[in-house]
Amino acid sequence: MREPILMPSLSDTMETGHLIDWLKQPGDAVKKGEAIAEVETDKAVMDVEAFYDGYLAGPLAAADTDIPVGVVIGYIVDSLGAEKATEKQEKQEKQKVDKAPLAKAADVGIKAPPPAVQTSTEAPAQAAKAPASAKPMATDMTSSKHIPASPYARGLARELGIDLARLTAGPDGSIRSVQVVSAALGRVEPNLSDGPDYELHPLTPMQKAIANNMMAAATTPTFRVSARFPLAPLIALAHEEGYSLTLLLARACALTVEAHPRFNAVLTPQGLAQRQQVDVGIAVDVPNGLVTPVLRDVARRPVEELAGNWNTLKERATGKQHSQRLTPQDYRGATFYLSNLGMFSSVVHFDAVVPAGAVAILAVAAIQDGLVEFTLSCDHRVVYGADAARFMETLALLLGDPTGLDAAPTSGAA
Amino acid sequence: MAEQVFYWQALNRALDAEMAVDDSVVVLGEDVGLYGGSYRVTEGLHAKYGEWRLRDMPISEGSFTGLGVGAAMVGLRPVVEIMTINFALLALDAIINMAAKIPFMSGGQFSMPLVVRMPGGVAKQLAAQHSQRLEQTLMNVPGLRIAVPATPQDAYWQLRQAINSDEPIVLLEHELLYFSKGELDESRQAPPMHRAQVCRQGGDLTIVTYSRMCDLALQAATQLAETGIEAEVIDLRSLRPIDWDSCVVSLEKTHRLLIVEEDSGFSGAGAEIAAGLAERCFLIMDAPPRRVAGRELPIAYNAALEAASIPRVTDVVSAAQQLCNP
Repeated sequence: MREPILMPSLSDTMETGHLIDWLKQPGDAVKKGEAIAEVETDKAVMDVEAFYDGYLAGPLAAADTDIPVGVVIGYIVDSLGAEKATEKQEKQEKQKVDKAPLAKAADVGIKAPPPAVQTSTEAPAQAAKAPASAKPMATDMTSSKHIPASPYARGLARELGIDLARLTAGPDGSIRSVQVVSAALGRVEPNLSDGPDYELHPLTPMQKAIANNMMAAATTPTFRVSARFPLAPLIALAHEEGYSLTLLLARACALTVEAHPRFNAVLTPQGLAQRQQVDVGIAVDVPNGLVTPVLRDVARRPVEELAGNWNTLKERATGKQHSQRLTPQDYRGATFYLSNLGMFSSVVHFDAVVPAGAVAILAVAAIQDGLVEFTLSCDHRVVYGADAARFMETLALLLGDPTGLDAAPTSGAA
Repeated sequence: MAEQVFYWQALNRALDAEMAVDDSVVVLGEDVGLYGGSYRVTEGLHAKYGEWRLRDMPISEGSFTGLGVGAAMVGLRPVVEIMTINFALLALDAIINMAAKIPFMSGGQFSMPLVVRMPGGVAKQLAAQHSQRLEQTLMNVPGLRIAVPATPQDAYWQLRQAINSDEPIVLLEHELLYFSKGELDESRQAPPMHRAQVCRQGGDLTIVTYSRMCDLALQAATQLAETGIEAEVIDLRSLRPIDWDSCVVSLEKTHRLLIVEEDSGFSGAGAEIAAGLAERCFLIMDAPPRRVAGRELPIAYNAALEAASIPRVTDVVSAAQQLCNP
């Protein structure tokens, strides 16, 4: 029996291992669990252990090389005789192996000629003598046939240049498209097989939607600008008029956005889509999720009317009855976002993720020593640092003297 | 104009419409005349068209189906009603040996404008000999066409199309569908007789089904949506030929196939669907095709056992979940 020793996957993120040195020589007896080689991962130096009793056999991968996870680095045989009989042949093979891992490591994911072909051109005489024995080793380096994967996953992996051998299989032990796509997007699927037992809870549609939206937003180049303003005047106005603070903040944001219309645009492949009115999406905490109901035309409609809308939206967002739930029209299409954690008094600072479809989101922390920290996260493809600074200046003026907030909109709103 | 009608009414109107415009359309079957048919499909037609066009037949399926074959050969357009598919076993010689073969064996000298209508399926405690589905028995007969309408609209369209076709067609109805209601718009343009229909759109898996199981699949899809799985449901409408293209288009989107059939799975319609789609879509499948089918059992009389012998909504839901979350 001749069992291959593979470069083990020693962490979730490990793609290649650096084989520091062999601790045993070919022909040495090894016991199951005994350390036979040292490997350096992206995190630590670890031992490769024998998983059978037997004898270490070549061809062995060369020490001091980087080798992809899952590639054969040597063999364990169960009788020494068999090992000695093939020793001569293996010496020839060893030369090939020394080079093969390097070729593989350099060419991960690229359709390169199999290493055996490269080597055989350099050493034609040896290849001619032992073509059959050279082949299996080369196959192990490039093939992922032994990994159970769906045909679709294989096709995707081929097109995207993903090596199936580097992927962690799903819960049923096989690779599906989801693992390939995750790898292509640079996401690493957590490998749960090593940790404690777990229960799987499928995401609710809302949780799934949030996860997808956040992933969609993850590629946005974002910068953040923070400022501290006193909120007392706005709070006083809210008490006086009986409006919610969030509503007045949304109004202040909308008026600020109108003064800086670039914050009401969104980048599309065709160009900058400049929106004609300010619709503010407001993050609302709901059990097991988050929704952002949208107030429409917040800069130009009377505050009283907006207050009515806002109460309805809030009821729907937190409503238990199906008939009262938010409809897609209630939460789609915001042009600016507001997230207020001011009700959690310990929150000094936070920033928020700019959802796709908008340019900026304003995060409002809790009041500390009379001041509240506002952090504006912005899509840097559309607005720049000074734009954000001017936005904050305008907002500061409005919050400092909020008397104009609930007044009918001034002219100029065309 | 659309109205809500029973499935049997839709069939009745289709017959009426065709009999009104073509004198060569005749109906042969047990109790199809004065009585109006076991499931009311010929109700009122005897009074309108008379006993020469609605012929009551003796209890002898082999002979009156054979009569239909002969009538079709000499120029009539007979619609043979067999009371249930279970009795069609007695008429298989006429259907398989005669109707399906004569156009070929005569070198095309005879066409075969014959329609054989019959209900199959598990109804309510009719026991093993009256609960068969048997689509597999008829599917493997070259020369025969099989339509499986699931809604009143399709029943109306497909019966009219079958009567107008010069090829032998089995219209496989379902005993439990006769008294289901649905929309019928007689003025709407019919799709081709063997075209499949996407009843619900979804991106996570494709459920391919037909006849009464369509309703079951749609109920399952609604439940699945609550767990975050969006199923696309395809009503095949026809078992021979099968509209592979519609299924392929769907699988290109979902990459997962679930087949729901009431008939026993072994060597059944689902096996053909799975094989046909595996041949066409193997490289884009993200999971092995999966079937939810009736059990390999003669159907029991006992109601609880009967219900457990054929697919239930929960069976479809759990199969879909396993398919999507392996």
